[in-house]
Amino acid sequence: MATDPTDPNAPRVGVDEWVASHEQRRVRRAGLLGVVERELERVPSPAFYLAFGVAAAVVPALTSNGYVIKVGLDTLLYMLLALGLNITVGYAGLLDLGYVAFYGFAAYGYAMLASPKFGLHWATIGVIPLVVLATAILGFLVALPSRRLVGDYLAIVTLFFGELFATVYQNGEHMSLLGLTKAKDVTGGPNGIPNIDQFHVLGARIGTLNYTAYYYVALIFFMVLLLAMYLVDRSRTGRAWKSLREDPLAAELMGMPVNRLKLVAFACGAGIAGLAGTIFAAANTAVFASEFDFTSGLLIIVYAMLILGGAGSLGGVILGALVVNVSLEVLRTPGHATWVFYVLIAATLIARLRPWRWFALVIAGTAGFGFAVHAIVSAAWPRGVHGQAPVGGILGSGLGHWVILPSNPMTIGNVAFVCLVLAVLALTLLSGWIQRLAMIPTLYLAAFVWENRLAVEPSITRLILVGVILIVLMNARPQGLLGTSRVEIV
Amino acid sequence: MNWNLFLTELVAGISHGSVYALIALGYSMVYGILKLLNFAHGDVYMVGSFIGFGIIGVFGGATNLSIPVWVLLFLMLLGAMLGGGLLGVMIERFAYRRLRNAPRIAPLITALGVSFFLENAAQLVLGAQYQSYNSFSWKSPIALDHFTLPAHTVISYAEVIIIVGTIVLVVALTLFVQRTQLGKAMRATSFDREAAAMMGIDVDNVIVATFFIGSALAGAAGIFNGIEYQQVWPYMGFTAGLYAFIAAVVGGIGNLPGAVLGGLTIGLAQAFSIGYISSTFSDAVVFAILIAVMIVRPSGLLGRAAVQKV
Amino acid sequence: MVRRFGLVAAAAAALVLAIVSAASARPTAHAAATATCTKGVSIGMQAPITGPAGSIGSDQLHWALFYFTQWNKTHKLKIHLVQEDTQLDPSKASTTAQALASNKSVMGVIGPAGSDEVQAVAPIFKKAGLAFASGSATRVSLTSGAWKGYFFRDVPNDGVQGPTDANYMVEKLGVTSGSKVMVVDDQESYSTGLADIVGQSLSSKGVTVDRESVSQKATDFSSLIAKVDSSTKVVFLPFQVASEAQLFAQQLQAQGKTAVAFGSDGTFDSSKFTVNGSYISFFAPDVTTIPADASIVTAFHKQFPGATSPFGAPNYVLAQAYASAVTAACKDNKISRAEVRKDLAMVKLSNTILGGPLSFTANGDVAGAKFHIFKIENGKYVTIA
Repeated sequence: MATDPTDPNAPRVGVDEWVASHEQRRVRRAGLLGVVERELERVPSPAFYLAFGVAAAVVPALTSNGYVIKVGLDTLLYMLLALGLNITVGYAGLLDLGYVAFYGFAAYGYAMLASPKFGLHWATIGVIPLVVLATAILGFLVALPSRRLVGDYLAIVTLFFGELFATVYQNGEHMSLLGLTKAKDVTGGPNGIPNIDQFHVLGARIGTLNYTAYYYVALIFFMVLLLAMYLVDRSRTGRAWKSLREDPLAAELMGMPVNRLKLVAFACGAGIAGLAGTIFAAANTAVFASEFDFTSGLLIIVYAMLILGGAGSLGGVILGALVVNVSLEVLRTPGHATWVFYVLIAATLIARLRPWRWFALVIAGTAGFGFAVHAIVSAAWPRGVHGQAPVGGILGSGLGHWVILPSNPMTIGNVAFVCLVLAVLALTLLSGWIQRLAMIPTLYLAAFVWENRLAVEPSITRLILVGVILIVLMNARPQGLLGTSRVEIV
Repeated sequence: MNWNLFLTELVAGISHGSVYALIALGYSMVYGILKLLNFAHGDVYMVGSFIGFGIIGVFGGATNLSIPVWVLLFLMLLGAMLGGGLLGVMIERFAYRRLRNAPRIAPLITALGVSFFLENAAQLVLGAQYQSYNSFSWKSPIALDHFTLPAHTVISYAEVIIIVGTIVLVVALTLFVQRTQLGKAMRATSFDREAAAMMGIDVDNVIVATFFIGSALAGAAGIFNGIEYQQVWPYMGFTAGLYAFIAAVVGGIGNLPGAVLGGLTIGLAQAFSIGYISSTFSDAVVFAILIAVMIVRPSGLLGRAAVQKV
Repeated sequence: MVRRFGLVAAAAAALVLAIVSAASARPTAHAAATATCTKGVSIGMQAPITGPAGSIGSDQLHWALFYFTQWNKTHKLKIHLVQEDTQLDPSKASTTAQALASNKSVMGVIGPAGSDEVQAVAPIFKKAGLAFASGSATRVSLTSGAWKGYFFRDVPNDGVQGPTDANYMVEKLGVTSGSKVMVVDDQESYSTGLADIVGQSLSSKGVTVDRESVSQKATDFSSLIAKVDSSTKVVFLPFQVASEAQLFAQQLQAQGKTAVAFGSDGTFDSSKFTVNGSYISFFAPDVTTIPADASIVTAFHKQFPGATSPFGAPNYVLAQAYASAVTAACKDNKISRAEVRKDLAMVKLSNTILGGPLSFTANGDVAGAKFHIFKIENGKYVTIA
């Protein structure tokens, strides 16, 4: 069969994963890059994980910037969550939409046992295992309906459970048992539980706001769990889970205890989320139920990280969490966001415009077009170029002479934004030299919209850019950055 | 027995449920053909709502309408359905088409990306403020004028429009799917896409038509929501989409009457739990009810247990 | 395999670039690396700019931005606003608070908006020595003294508004011992705090209080309104979103209920909440009726067209307070966070767009807090108390 394995639109009927990857293995890159690639493939994955661990351990030593360390801590917590979700979604193939409820349950559990709320201040070394165990049991219980429910129906029940949890905890400041007992304040309601105890072991207590210590705690836990997952991946249970993901019916016929596997997958995922939850509670010193419901977007972000990295791949967990969270944080600052925007455009052009003369032509054309338009507009309508460039420095003043900056850009910026979206979509429909020609005004329009409208609203632009990055990356690589290409067998 | 409370909750539940049902229909249709959970569907509903709001503005604004109300309603529905349908077709063409053969969770994240993009682009262009259809102040205030049912229960004209409109749209959809050639092609494609392609059905066209119709229904739902519940703002699609997704699955995903039944179930469960149990924990009660429903009927209310082909 | 390597390499390279640039975390080119009285200073702002509370946060941001834009046009000392989006999530608030604390040019912070967020960020700002002033966090316990000198707010807390509203209901609206009032909160901390205080106030006077709540996600209140019976005189709505109060009042009328709607300061918006016969309490006179403010409001709408919310204008006043504090701190041509804190605590603005002077008490509350009661007649807000 002479189908091109890299053509996404070719029919893949009857081609299974082994055959697909077998065909791909034949393709080799030549030259130095090929040698490097071959050598890298021979390195076993734990070496990469170790390299990551070392790099992560070194980061707090390189910077004293509290923000970077907090972002690092957040990223590690996301990685832990994605690791747990990887078991349920990536290995066992069960869509769990209530996953964040385990995270919240553990955070609240730790908060209730180690804060002034109920006067309990139990020792960390006892609370953490207790909470993790309780969360795992909760995961087990939530998975019980999975015997009868498959696929999306299980997903919806887990979603219900997640929302149930969030609602009950958000309104838990006057809870009474079916109206029979006196209303008691169990979860603090919208006010949450503040002043949570910090971790303390053998008399050594982590100071409040000592994010570096929590960073290392999270890193150590993550590396240990990563190693454990690597070993599980190669064990019987790991293979059993993967067979469950690929084809549950065949797995059952082969004698796999499918129900037990599902329950254990949920419980393990929940346990890992539980561990992350305790660290979250202690590091943030307060928990609020609104952080764990569907509207907070936490579940969506964790899923995006997992799937972007490649569900079922451990390296993918790390990469996905890094890419998504670091992008989200880096894009907060307008200056960084501008650089990312222009670099992304340049990278797309470089990737799509071959041979190089086309790339040079388009860039030169856009520059010339821009200066021409700027000259025309400043001659015909001076108010059109008096606005402020949002980014200062060399880039800003250079752009000031190239991009039109009206003094009141809101309406025209909005119209231009809509036109830009339509223009980019239209560009993907064209091909050949017409497409390259059309790129020139589109690029100029993109710069115009960015400078006048998008860079001025960094908080909104951040999310627009992340949305676009997700769309583009998933279209380019549907299996995720480090995932394996899978084909649905008809 | 407080009949007034009972009937009011019933009316509220049915009208709210109808809006959910229309959005859920779009979810179900797309899922039936592509096995794709289109999380961006709620944002098509939001865009449809804004289109309706824009049309009110074009004709003078809520307090100063220059055309009769029924003409306005017709134009709003037309505009929102066309606009929503077009938006749905564009999303399919540019975001989902390449992922037809990818594992199911990939388009999920793409849909999430589209949702982020639409919500925040709407905030950028239209502003984050809540806007209102203000149909209480129209020339003939359809949210205020009402019919009176037994036990002093009121049902506003807007609610009647919603319920009647939903029935009309659902009947039209059913007739379309059961009686026309394209409808038959849709059913065939949702049953087995490869076989339908082999039978000479243009699967791409069928998918485009499905997205168009499903998104048009979401647009109509946006208008219906606006004339009774007034509020329009960029993030309204998020929760509505969530509830509609729940409705589609509870009714049996891929099953069109099931989606309608699921929507009505959720609307009624919400209304009655607010009215009779507790407004604070009404969400929790609704979810508990739905968990029970799913455990009793694992494939949804009207779903058939899928036969797994080996 | 080929594509995989290239793509992974590209992603890894991008990541390295991002991490390195984040680790160096230079502030934007507008602000100097350290704030100086000649080059310019930065004021941070935390607000829920996107997300479900976006209508409140983006408005707060716009008012503060508007003030600083006008200030920078006419003053040599430039003030740059560094915005951070918290999406009303306390853990995002603490991450962005860290960003502001680590930004050496930030001399003070406006925000955060929610009382939960204030609790989450307070230790961070206290450790960093930053003053932070909120235009909408009204929980009483925030100014109990724990963050004296660091936390300020220019809106009165629930402890002032609650009793004022309850007393008005009892004295003027015919709510007597034995009659019923329904209090509906929206499950957010602003709302539940105020609702609890009003509920307790009324109960202590012998009034039957029916406590209900709606989720802020809910768009329809007809199910709840069906429960309003003829003995309910007033429905108290401590909502943050004026259009929800409007919808509630409209549906009350549509269902033919005789109860009157009473909104808290979050519902004060003459363009949105206009149902005749309703009452509203607000901590300032109506901005649109003060002639001196008209030009400011017009100029604001020119820069930011569209509607506005009642939680926006207090941020304009906070920006004004910070500008005044920064100017005072720069008198000796040197500025530091501690100086700004002290000068902010001592700020005295004789007239603000909120219709009165501004100064802070020792604990950070706004001095001279008073609530005005308005009634809606013919679609207009009329001050009655």
